[in-house]
Amino acid sequence: MVAYNIYKLLKEELKNGSSDLVTRKSGQAIRERIERDIENEESGEVIALDFSKIGVIDYSCADEIVAKLISRLLSNEYGDKYILLTGLSDNQKENIEVALERKDLAVIAEMRDGERVLLGNLHNYLKDTLDAIQKKGKITAKELSEARKIEANTSGTRLLNLHKKRLVRKIDETRNGTRVWVYERV
Amino acid sequence: MHLSEDTFETFLPGLSNRDVIDLREVTFIDPYGMVGMLEAGRYLSLKNMHKSLILPASGEVLKYLERMDFFKFAERYFSVVPEMPHLPEKYMRSSGSDVLLEITPIEKSDDIHFIVGKVKKRAHAILKKHLHYDERAINGFIVALSEVCQNIIEHSENTGYVGIQKYHFQKLNKNVVKIAVMDLGRGFRGSISERIAVKGDLEAIEKALLQGISRHDDIGRGHGLAAVRRFVKEWNGKISIRSGSAKISIIPDWAWGKEKESRLMPFPGAQISIVLPEI
Repeated sequence: MVAYNIYKLLKEELKNGSSDLVTRKSGQAIRERIERDIENEESGEVIALDFSKIGVIDYSCADEIVAKLISRLLSNEYGDKYILLTGLSDNQKENIEVALERKDLAVIAEMRDGERVLLGNLHNYLKDTLDAIQKKGKITAKELSEARKIEANTSGTRLLNLHKKRLVRKIDETRNGTRVWVYERV
Repeated sequence: MHLSEDTFETFLPGLSNRDVIDLREVTFIDPYGMVGMLEAGRYLSLKNMHKSLILPASGEVLKYLERMDFFKFAERYFSVVPEMPHLPEKYMRSSGSDVLLEITPIEKSDDIHFIVGKVKKRAHAILKKHLHYDERAINGFIVALSEVCQNIIEHSENTGYVGIQKYHFQKLNKNVVKIAVMDLGRGFRGSISERIAVKGDLEAIEKALLQGISRHDDIGRGHGLAAVRRFVKEWNGKISIRSGSAKISIIPDWAWGKEKESRLMPFPGAQISIVLPEI
């Protein structure tokens, strides 16, 4: 996992001494910087956007940075990468969540107290699957079938859908001499 | 005589016909009256009409105008009479604690950072102490302020001013904070009609404020003003948007006014008022 200190990026890009993510124009500058940096990351990398030193995030900036990044991540514009938000305050969470919900997107966030939460929109059955992965760390389709007492096809589809939304990583592992897809938390 | 949102409509029509704007009788002026006066002066200056502004006789009003930095900008658009009121230094800033934000120009994105930074510093002294806002409400206030100010940069294609002050509202026996944000841009109709057909100013304000429609078709856009409306509603405040010749207000129980007004005197840009009471 590689961490991007958003406060540092803000200082470097705007040079106005502000610790707040406000205005669409500022959001655009920060997002473009993040996009440039993401290009240089290795395939499969998890990028943690660290908001811990940021003050306020308004809706326009939340849309311009987080919602657009997630939207483009899902369109495969950044390749096989994952995005996680870290160091969020309750107020930041509230504003980012509104921006994500409006575009029917979701992302995993780690709050300042370390609690992991899902922000945005996700079907309940996918939330349940994600919850299983968050608790276990990683899971196969077979293990999910057994844990949730659902058909193997169903569990496979759910895991694939979560992966398409870049909410879980998909790893090729060999277990007892057999190659299996394992889905693990970002 | 009061110069505020309530009296702005009666004040506006006489402006262009007179060489002298006489404020001697004014005994109360709020951020809306003050920012409105500056924008009116700026508008007239752009039309090569330079007016004289006779200042209020009331020393209290003059002190308030000074605390809000009114004179700093008034001299750009008016010949101020008397030239500069003499106010003893001790009065100039002594009551500054009721000012949440002096009149501040909004011309570029960095100005919003400056405004947010300044209000954050004073939020605890005013919003927490006098309005009893908690951290969540203060955050909501700052976000709403940011959104309403950046509306000017994003949509008006012009510049504007913002001013914020705390008052004790005697009728309610409560403190209130008043925000006034105005610009001389193309207004709601000019902006929204880029994307959809609207019949007039009233419909354009309705679409933006109540339906979250903006000139951009990206679903992430147009959300700022709708969020401001939700914040104001949650904290039992009043919001009014005047643009062109129409005005829409969302009025809580404690306030008054008309919800929808049209056929007002045409005035460019947008004039936004937000009043938030103590909780």
